[in-house]
Amino acid sequence: MSYIDIDRVSKSFGERVAINELSLHVEKSERVVLFGPSGCGKTTLLRLLAGLEVPEQGSIRIDGRVVASAGKNLVPPERRDLGMVFQDLALWPHMTVQQNLMFGLNARRVQKREAEARVREMLQRVGLEHRIDAKPHQLSGGEQQRVALARALVSRPSILLMDEPLSSLDDERKSMIASDLLGLHSQFGFTLIYVTHDQAETDLLASRVCRMCDVQPAA
Amino acid sequence: MGRTVRTETIVLWLCVAVVAVAGFAPIAVMTLESFWRNGYFSLNHYRELISATRFWPLLGNSIRLALATTAVCGLIGVPAGILFAKSDLPLRSGFMWLLTVPFVLPPYFIALGWSRVVAHLGPTSSDWLFGFTGCVLVLSSVFLPITMLLTFASSSNVDRRLEEAARIVSGWPGVVRRVTLPLSAPGIAFSLVLVFLLAMGELSVPSFLRYPVLPVLSFTQFTASYNFGAATAAAFPLAVIAFVGVLAESTFLRDRDYTFRSTGQTLFIPLQRWKNPLVALITALCFALVILPLGSLFVDAFSLAAMHEAIQRAGASVVRSVMYSAMAATILMALGFLLGHFMRGGRQRVLSAFTLALFAIPGTVLSIGLVRLWNTPGTWFIYATPALLILGFTAQYCAVTTRLSLAGLMLIPTSLDEAGQLSGAMWARRLFRISIPLSTRTLVCAWLAAYILCLRDVPIALMTAPPGGDPLSARILTLMANGAPPMIASLCLIMAIASLIPLVILTRVIPSRRITK
Repeated sequence: MSYIDIDRVSKSFGERVAINELSLHVEKSERVVLFGPSGCGKTTLLRLLAGLEVPEQGSIRIDGRVVASAGKNLVPPERRDLGMVFQDLALWPHMTVQQNLMFGLNARRVQKREAEARVREMLQRVGLEHRIDAKPHQLSGGEQQRVALARALVSRPSILLMDEPLSSLDDERKSMIASDLLGLHSQFGFTLIYVTHDQAETDLLASRVCRMCDVQPAA
Repeated sequence: MGRTVRTETIVLWLCVAVVAVAGFAPIAVMTLESFWRNGYFSLNHYRELISATRFWPLLGNSIRLALATTAVCGLIGVPAGILFAKSDLPLRSGFMWLLTVPFVLPPYFIALGWSRVVAHLGPTSSDWLFGFTGCVLVLSSVFLPITMLLTFASSSNVDRRLEEAARIVSGWPGVVRRVTLPLSAPGIAFSLVLVFLLAMGELSVPSFLRYPVLPVLSFTQFTASYNFGAATAAAFPLAVIAFVGVLAESTFLRDRDYTFRSTGQTLFIPLQRWKNPLVALITALCFALVILPLGSLFVDAFSLAAMHEAIQRAGASVVRSVMYSAMAATILMALGFLLGHFMRGGRQRVLSAFTLALFAIPGTVLSIGLVRLWNTPGTWFIYATPALLILGFTAQYCAVTTRLSLAGLMLIPTSLDEAGQLSGAMWARRLFRISIPLSTRTLVCAWLAAYILCLRDVPIALMTAPPGGDPLSARILTLMANGAPPMIASLCLIMAIASLIPLVILTRVIPSRRITK
């Protein structure tokens, strides 16, 4: 049994089949890149793992626990111990950088002093401690990417899901953030599932590549 | 290029001129009038008003009533809006439109309905209705849709990704409290300010339920003694409160107006075991606020004799109501669309605030100004015709069509207009060939909303309609004094049908929001 087991999962949106009987197994601390053209179901797969979509068929197991099975999410997203970086980053515009990071820690009832220390540490790690009171619109594109990454990791999840987060950056910034990400991965040891259609990002980040095409990955 | 700018500027100034003539000039004239006595500058109207023993209790009553109505609308409307926008509550769309019905009818309909309910219960049971409690109940029923619909719209527009990002680490209560509500706060705050101001300026319900408030004083000064100065002085605090309210709202919104990339989809809150209790609660709410009062009102309406008498005594008013409202709605749709077009991208903020202040200002205040401005021998062609009424409707409701148009126009990428500009199309050509064809749904919504608002209006209809040319909402109010209840009920039913037809069309035009599980 692997750390993450996706077993014959299907998902449709109306008439359109996004994922058809897909199976994928990921080991702990692996860096898996889901690589493929637009519309092949990469994002849907991440959303199924996160619990933001419900699979119509098949099951998803994380760390030996069935989290979703045939038409039902058995474990809600917030109890799956994962973090996610969205394609458009989804930083909450009404919150400062600190508040963006604190949100998850507060929801998990981490004590205030510890939460603040963790936020400071994480911001230091991504080089943004001086931007703690800034709001998202006051940050540059690269800074926003790093805040989104810090927000996803501050609650120390076991799994990090990333949905084409670097697609809007130039090559130089991409490799800087990719190297940050690799550093964080070696420090925290999370399992990374990274979606992209960019070969360069795949080369930088993957310990294993799953090419998704015809709605079925060749894992 | 120069010609493009000139056409746009000319049209903008024409629109500004319409708003100025319809709204700014009357307010300015009546304000000046209030500082004038016997040909000299004087503060006597205000001195007399402030020293009058009635003034302070009436102002206190108005504020108390507005605050209580706002509190009730906020406490019920905000959760209801979130529930209808975000949850899997069965029949949520039907519930929402049913709760909207009181708003599309003249406000006194609900009061009249409740008076029928208490009449059936016996003479002693009417004590609670005629006074503060009854006013709060009726005005809350009438204005609840404002908070409910604006909360619904604001929370539906919150970018789904922002909620999903929170959902990864928190349960639904946390997502709603920390993300959905703060991001919807501008819409919710706007709705609460509107409810407060509309409740402050409401005339027909407090006068029917015999609760003394400031607009009633202003109205009686105007109709009983035709004393413009005193009527204006009495109306002045209401106008000031309306402007302050709008100013506070725009100050609050300055840094909080978030623009989202709406996906047209929203997430849902699975109600699970709460589903049935909440359905029961919302059904009870619909029954108490809508079905019971309106059912009691309309139960007597279906006799042939009553219907015949109603048509005989007010048939012409029905036709006039529909005609005036349709004409005003057409002007409002065009004006609102053009103003919305100019306000895109946060431009013309002063104009936006001013139109909003005109919406918030009580209809009685605006009407006094209109009558004062146009009641001269040289402008009789406006004063003695429906033109005055239509000017009043235009001033009062152009903020609604402007904001609706603006919301629709924001959904059209600016690049489409820019592409037209680069292809060499002039402003007018781009307007007619790109913006208008892409906004047909917005235009239909704006027209229907304006039509409903004009049809249900009471103070402007009552005070500015030409002699013998009153619309139905004003006619019913005057007939209520001596008309037989079944005949009044029949007239109310006719009015309700005329208002509900566009509401039904609106429910078809506005697409239902897709909920993604």
